[in-house]
Amino acid sequence: MAFSLRALSLHAGNFQDRYSGTRSGWWAWFLQRLTGVALVGYLFLHIAVISTARAGADTFDTVLIILQKPFFVVLDLFLIAAVLYHALNGVRVLLFDAGIAIRQQALLFWICMLLTVVITGVAGYFSLPLIFRG
Amino acid sequence: MSAPLMSRQEKTVTGFWPWFLQRVSGFLLIFLVGVHIWMTHFSGLGDVVRGHQEELVLFEIVKQRLAQGLFIFIDFSLLALVLYHGLNGMRNILLEWGPAARHAAGMTTGLWLLGVGTFIYGAWALLAFIL
Repeated sequence: MAFSLRALSLHAGNFQDRYSGTRSGWWAWFLQRLTGVALVGYLFLHIAVISTARAGADTFDTVLIILQKPFFVVLDLFLIAAVLYHALNGVRVLLFDAGIAIRQQALLFWICMLLTVVITGVAGYFSLPLIFRG
Repeated sequence: MSAPLMSRQEKTVTGFWPWFLQRVSGFLLIFLVGVHIWMTHFSGLGDVVRGHQEELVLFEIVKQRLAQGLFIFIDFSLLALVLYHGLNGMRNILLEWGPAARHAAGMTTGLWLLGVGTFIYGAWALLAFIL
């Protein structure tokens, strides 16, 4: 863990100097890494789950029926939030690479957060029947 | 692409092409992941809620979707791009860690082997629905 803490502290200084002086630059960077690492972990689990299809349709369906129970639907909402933040902040970074809106980086971070919460909320609302089905 | 940007990237240890391809793959993944999540988790939601369909994802449903060439293309592109983007992201993080940075070439080779191996495994899994 020591290496990541060192990297974090390096970037904290870096981002404060380079951008608007607020701390959202650091948080945006940190959350991009956190969601990125989490999504890589999920990716390998996801491929492992899908590969149960090799054991036959019945095995696949048995596994998938368990993974669509309410508990996992709720976990899926965390997954959607992580994907949304990572994608939205990715667009934010692409804009900066193109030299666009760098001075508005803090505002754009909060727009990313807002859209992540709102879209996850909408996805959650439509998933309610799956979470509360008998 | 502006000159200052190029020179800034050339100074980093990650290299220009991994940096550039991370952005290209990330941009494409927005659409591919969007379609993937929509098709698997939301397009069939109405049928499940009304009781016309037992679950969102079952073997037959995936098999029917992958009978269409478009979805075969989407799923294999998604598998390749997401592995590249994810493992290249891990490489970016690992390069900030001294021991990994000192063995950058070996680590990069290792991540490529992991990526190609996982792609083959994932493709083999997907072919269960197609062949």
